[in-house]
Amino acid sequence: MVDRNADVAGIPVEEVDNKSYAPESTWARTVDHFKREWQLYVMLAPTIIWFLVFLYKPMYGLQIAFKDYSIFRGVADSPWVGLEHFEVLFANDQFVRAVWNTVKISALNLIFGFPAPIILALMFNEILHATYKKTAQTIVYLPHFISSVIIAGIVITAFAPTGGIVNIILGWFGIDSIYFLTRPEWFRPIFVGTGIWQEAGFGSIVFLAAIAGVNPSLYESAVVDGANRWQMMWKITIPSILPTILIMLIIRIGNIMEVSFELVILLYQPATYETADVVNTWIYRQGLQSGQYDLAAAAGLFNAVVAFVLVMTANTLSRRYSRTSLW
Amino acid sequence: MIGVSLSGIIKRYGALQVVHGIDLDVAEREFVVLVGPSGCGKSTTLRMIAGLEEISEGDLEIHGKRMNRIAPKDRDVAMVFQNYALYPHLNVADNMAFGLRIRRMPKDQIATTIAETAEILGLTEYLERRPADLSGGQRQRVAMGRAIVRHPKVFLFDEPLSNLDAKLRTQMRAEIKRLHNRLGVTSVYVTHDQVEAMTLADRIVVMNDGRIEQVGTPMELFNNPANTFVAGFLGSPPMNQMKAQLTETGARVGNAEINLGRAINGNAGRDVIIGIRPEHVTLQPGEQTTALPIDLDLVEPLGSEALLHARFGEDEMVFKADTHGDISHLQGVAEVHVPAALVKVFDAETGRALRLEH
Repeated sequence: MVDRNADVAGIPVEEVDNKSYAPESTWARTVDHFKREWQLYVMLAPTIIWFLVFLYKPMYGLQIAFKDYSIFRGVADSPWVGLEHFEVLFANDQFVRAVWNTVKISALNLIFGFPAPIILALMFNEILHATYKKTAQTIVYLPHFISSVIIAGIVITAFAPTGGIVNIILGWFGIDSIYFLTRPEWFRPIFVGTGIWQEAGFGSIVFLAAIAGVNPSLYESAVVDGANRWQMMWKITIPSILPTILIMLIIRIGNIMEVSFELVILLYQPATYETADVVNTWIYRQGLQSGQYDLAAAAGLFNAVVAFVLVMTANTLSRRYSRTSLW
Repeated sequence: MIGVSLSGIIKRYGALQVVHGIDLDVAEREFVVLVGPSGCGKSTTLRMIAGLEEISEGDLEIHGKRMNRIAPKDRDVAMVFQNYALYPHLNVADNMAFGLRIRRMPKDQIATTIAETAEILGLTEYLERRPADLSGGQRQRVAMGRAIVRHPKVFLFDEPLSNLDAKLRTQMRAEIKRLHNRLGVTSVYVTHDQVEAMTLADRIVVMNDGRIEQVGTPMELFNNPANTFVAGFLGSPPMNQMKAQLTETGARVGNAEINLGRAINGNAGRDVIIGIRPEHVTLQPGEQTTALPIDLDLVEPLGSEALLHARFGEDEMVFKADTHGDISHLQGVAEVHVPAALVKVFDAETGRALRLEH
């Protein structure tokens, strides 16, 4: 037996099998890996199937945005028309208006709706009485679990010109009844406000979880240093949850063209189309009600491309300036 | 002058009492270490001094002023936490300046203080870095820097070295000691590591189950432990403890009789525990030593010395022996010698040290 440590003045401790091993092929290692971890892949399968069926397979149908689609000829046999539908779209005043309405409503949602759950989470964090905190949280989470139809019903009732609570209160101050839901200028505030009321509470959960993850000794250290609760909120809590805020902002920007379709459909009416008609409702009317599937597909594709560009930009900017990004 | 004074300090969480009446005076400029096993109440006591925990009963005074109802920021204490508690979004300079900005210190004064402290701690070149970009030792220095810049009356350390690896811990321990010698600020330091306690402390407070077991200088505690708990807690390996019975001439352990070299008087027949430090045992007989026959079980070489694990009757014992560069002479050891004067005797029932006259 050769002492393999002799040349480094080592002491042979045990006999070593000197057999040489050929490196395993990638294929053999992959097979080994699947044999060892197959349970994980079985658990992953439903998600992959869902993605394939509901997100990737429909992409095949996207081509009708560039075709003169007929349901009788099918997707494959319909003739190509190039960018004709896009030209029609951008020449259509109603579509352009719908795009601007979507952008304006989303901007308002971003400005007022995005900070709302953060502010709510910060406020909950300051409540020290456990029972009061839990009760308050439950109350603000509840609207999230109410169907959009019911929410719309509540809004229509609350803003009704006669008997609506809002107009009754206005009446106390001598203000005449306002037909809120038929007035275009009132649609956006009501829509955005309703969204905040419905989702801010539930949306605060993710920020509360982020706050719960802040190291408690940061607060203790700040207390010893002399910080009050306000200073701790600004100097510790908010900077600590900033990565979560940025991630949520990127996701939100990705959904900027997705204004709550159901709620718009339920709340708008021809009188308020001027401010209420968004891309999704326009697609619904053109695509499903008027049967112009190809034009609707082009509008949908436009929506997706805009969202893709926005989320890429937001992610890149966030990664560059805050070291936080989705990927 | 007394820096920190605790009188009858009790801490309760609901019906559960975790600290049972602590009385302790820490002199100004003194470095006192609270040491004990997990859950003994040492960190709770420190947090009560800091004001992070309310005191259920008793009085806390810092520099002669009662502090029970005073807010932490007004106690003039600075605390170094186990996990450093550095603000991850701030760089080193901003972390150190945090407390000063809260106290609205002028900007130029903050800059000067930070520069001076960074110089002392060797952090000057890291001032622009964030905590995530620092090593464990550097983070610990920043945490200390944040405490130092405040120029507090009292430093409180809550296991500040327990997140560091063994080598860095030894290095940082020496740095803390040097820093204390240089700044001379009253310090209360909590650790569960008896080596840290022995090396850092002017006085050690050994705590167990919410009570103080013994207070004294490291060598007082090492040489004269007040009870079996302190004897077992300080020293590495800990003191060997064996059940014994006092006789007219010494102590009987199993079939052997150990010479104690002191007057037993009326205590013959009393059940005791005798304690023998591993380093007090010799392989050669000396003056007033008792030979103990042992069954050697294991020899653990540590370099210059080795640990000998052996059985003596029904008891297991650990001894230290010099290797002189070779452990072969230790393999056949069948007998060790115990010097009478160094054997400790404790009451078997109470565990308290018995003072038998020499």
